[in-house]
Amino acid sequence: MSTAASLHRSRKRKNAVMMALCTIAAGIGLVWLALILGALLYKGISGLSLSVFTEMTPPPGDAGGLLNAIYGSIVMTIIGIVVGTPIGVLAGTYMAEYGRFSRLTTVVRFINDILLSAPSIIVGLFVYELMVRPMGHFSAIAGAVALSILVIPVVVRTTEDMLNLVPNALREAGTAIGAPRWVVIRSVAYRAALSGIVTGILLAIARISGETAPLLFTALNNQFWSSNLNAPMASLPVTIFQFALSPYEEWQQLAWTGALIITLTVLGLSIFARSLTGRREDR
Amino acid sequence: MKPMLSTDLNVAETAVEKAKIEVKNLNFYYGQSKALKDINLSLPERSVTAFIGPSGCGKSTLLRVLNRIYELYPKQSAEGQVLLDGKNILDRSQDLNLLRTKIGMVFQKPTPFPMSIYENIAFGVRLYEKISKAEMDNRVEQALKRAALWNEVKDKLNASGQSLSGGQQQRLCIARTVAVKPEVILLDEPASALDPLSTAKIEELIDELQADYTIVIVTHNMQQAARVSRQTAFMYLGELVEFDRTEKIFTSPREKRTQDYITGRFG
Repeated sequence: MSTAASLHRSRKRKNAVMMALCTIAAGIGLVWLALILGALLYKGISGLSLSVFTEMTPPPGDAGGLLNAIYGSIVMTIIGIVVGTPIGVLAGTYMAEYGRFSRLTTVVRFINDILLSAPSIIVGLFVYELMVRPMGHFSAIAGAVALSILVIPVVVRTTEDMLNLVPNALREAGTAIGAPRWVVIRSVAYRAALSGIVTGILLAIARISGETAPLLFTALNNQFWSSNLNAPMASLPVTIFQFALSPYEEWQQLAWTGALIITLTVLGLSIFARSLTGRREDR
Repeated sequence: MKPMLSTDLNVAETAVEKAKIEVKNLNFYYGQSKALKDINLSLPERSVTAFIGPSGCGKSTLLRVLNRIYELYPKQSAEGQVLLDGKNILDRSQDLNLLRTKIGMVFQKPTPFPMSIYENIAFGVRLYEKISKAEMDNRVEQALKRAALWNEVKDKLNASGQSLSGGQQQRLCIARTVAVKPEVILLDEPASALDPLSTAKIEELIDELQADYTIVIVTHNMQQAARVSRQTAFMYLGELVEFDRTEKIFTSPREKRTQDYITGRFG
């Protein structure tokens, strides 16, 4: 009787200790996030004005905006996604559908996981050797290629995972009605996994829109407006990097504002991606 | 099909029971392990045949050989013959997609496609036929009526197939199968995930469908086999123990193992 009661008490105590530790750990994680967001909002919002979106990056000591950097980021992100997504989706489809039981899939998955966690600066160096050196100059297209290489592993992974979640019974049902393999994949499996695959693409956009390292070696930067894909192009992350390190107050302010813009964009994309998967799970 | 042929069939049917599917010396392997051992049986046309037996006896495996759906997975292989109207469907030259339009299948868990009720049915039809919107509307309606689902869904054909109840989903799957005009329908425990009322509806449906289709049903539920089928095959450990008219199997089986199973001594 008394042993049972003491056992119960000691379990309750252990439970309380564990719960406290978990809560503290979660709290620590959240505090840093809140501090970063708070600092960004505090320092960035004061510089937020219409001119940020309408004027070019200024020379030191002058007022200006981030238009060329925002434009460059959007262009290179779009090209990166347009190039990387089809490759990623098709590779993921091979792994989850055609090659589900093949050895090649295991190998590709392993390599893809390495690529997924590879430091992005290495991707930048790789594209530098592959494109920038032979071409003799930095260019937006090299930047976009570097970004697309970062997109591929993210999309491969989510596409494979999402297709693997589609119940086999659904594939069997499609097959049993006489549909060829590719029709089952297109009309049944893709449809069932659609929101998950789109989420993967959105997360890939979120990931590359903040990447600096691969762009430093490829697209470099450009103080002026340029829509030439064969020439260096400005981007938000690289501009932030350059401006934040500078001694000029106007530049530092623009760096804060740029950081705020990127963060809010990525946050918005992530929330949108979450709401897509959330809706899927509700069903 | 030409009218002349179908009258021929009717004549044949009234004279002697014509075999729609004949299984001859069939062996089936999952990798190295043998799951079906020398199966021989003949399924009469336009009639319901039930496969019964304890879990793992091979009844579902046998069903999955009949439309070769097992080929979706590696390391599964069948040897022997399965004759559909005299033609061996295990032959390498057999077109699998065409085979599956002739032999439809309904699964244990309802599997509506992630699309509207209308599209669930039109999907299969569209694969092999080019028909007008009006014809398709008619086709969808007929299929849903055949599956006794029309009255419940006629006002929400554009709703998702997955929004229906389990029993309705299963009838949608039957409608979808019927819509492509198969000759044989395979049912793999079609009511085991359903409540008694939905089960009764499905059984009623099976009874009506046997006027036009050759039906094979795998079931765990012996009462269900007794209610819906005309002949029953009892399987045990990969062997076909006994195959006879359903009354015979359930009243005076030849084999002791059959007797033990139907009286609930094992399984």
